[in-house]
Amino acid sequence: MTDNAQLIQEIKEVIASEGMVDISKITPDATIESLDLKSVDIVMILTALEEKFNVYIPMDGSLQEAKDVKSLIEALADQIQKERGKQ
Amino acid sequence: MAPALGRATERRVVISGMGAVCAAGLGVDRLWTAARDGVSQIRPLKTRRPYDGRIKIAGQVPDFDPAEHIDAGTLPFCDPFTQFSVVAADEAMAQAGFGRKDISGPGTAVIIGTGIGGMETIEDGIYRYYVDHIRPETLSVPKLIPSAAPTTLGMRFSCNGPTFAIGSACSSASQALGIGMQMIRSGMVEKAIVGGAEACVINATIRAWEGLRVLTPNLCRPFSQGRNGMSLGEGAAIFILETAQSAKARGHTPLCELAGYGTTSDAKDPVRPDLEGASQSIALALQDAGREAKHIGYINAHGTATHANDITESEAILRIFGDYGREVPVSSTKPIHGHALGASGGLELAIAIEALRTQIAPPTINFLETDARCPINATANVAQKHKIDAAMSNSFAFGGINAVLIISHAD
Repeated sequence: MTDNAQLIQEIKEVIASEGMVDISKITPDATIESLDLKSVDIVMILTALEEKFNVYIPMDGSLQEAKDVKSLIEALADQIQKERGKQ
Repeated sequence: MAPALGRATERRVVISGMGAVCAAGLGVDRLWTAARDGVSQIRPLKTRRPYDGRIKIAGQVPDFDPAEHIDAGTLPFCDPFTQFSVVAADEAMAQAGFGRKDISGPGTAVIIGTGIGGMETIEDGIYRYYVDHIRPETLSVPKLIPSAAPTTLGMRFSCNGPTFAIGSACSSASQALGIGMQMIRSGMVEKAIVGGAEACVINATIRAWEGLRVLTPNLCRPFSQGRNGMSLGEGAAIFILETAQSAKARGHTPLCELAGYGTTSDAKDPVRPDLEGASQSIALALQDAGREAKHIGYINAHGTATHANDITESEAILRIFGDYGREVPVSSTKPIHGHALGASGGLELAIAIEALRTQIAPPTINFLETDARCPINATANVAQKHKIDAAMSNSFAFGGINAVLIISHAD
């Protein structure tokens, strides 16, 4: 598994545990609505990612505009990579 | 401008003096100069205890020695939020032309908004108890209560009228102004000392704010593309209210009229802003002021630079102002002084008053490019000279409590 694939898998696991959704539902074409993720769930997920990866992920446009799980995970992975690059 | 319809029999309320403490230092002049010239007061964070947070910037009051302003008998009862209130109130009283005892008695209300109250005292007490295993300092309780600010001011100026704190998060100061104005209009009191104060830029509090993902790690850029949140600020802004008639009778020229107040509650979501509630509070403030949107020449926006607030606030302005909502100068001055929470509505009203008096709309700094979903005139980066007959200040708080104030020239 590449580093990026590994990162995406770990993000999925965090979304599943913090958002309290079945990991099998976290597929690339799933919509965020289909996972029933509310704004507070997103905050919980971001906080867990912060703890796990030791990065700060601000809630900017790329996260707000993510309509499907694929774009949400990509935005998160991108932010984590960027923050890691600074360390 | 003609007096507002339906208000002929009401007592008109004016702002006779104001004072401010914020990241720009002490005094409204420093706040206004920084806002007008677009000079950010957000600096590297300073904390008394080691700080392990990820956000390392804030708008803190610089080089503040409370002992220079508050006597040794009073100071032990003053958390920083009260200290800021006292300094701002002294400035406001002096500008209003009042000495310490000039507005004493039951005819003066003291109403101060604060999001939390004595947060530093709370945090210190918890740290001492759980970490140092010693009891919180003896005066913790009278220091930390939100009403410590208004009662301390009441004692300083011997005011016996209605005295309390207002807690409605980031709209607290604006609510205090609105309620004070209504009390004077109704005849309940003759004068009011009103405003807001906050001092929350401390370790655990910043970490808690970080958790909500509303803080920017770099630059606060309201209404702009690429925005990613706000910076915390602190301070106080205090105003002296009286009737236009009483100011005239004593030969005092007020700063402006406090003409309108509108407030609503979204009753929907703890953190997400709502178009309906925000736009309705703007409409109510205009109605209360007896003015139409076209009379407003400047809007000091809530403008937190969070993705959601700025879109909702732009939509709310456009819904009520129509096409004129794309033209009227709007700015968020939060990148200058930081988001001072319960004090923010006061600091921003002070800026709006100076905008009205100087006919200059201060800029929204750090602005990159227009976000298509915020199609307002955000006064990007440079102040605009503009005819301003009346100005509006918006405060939209967590919990969905909205408060909008309108000021105009006092004639």
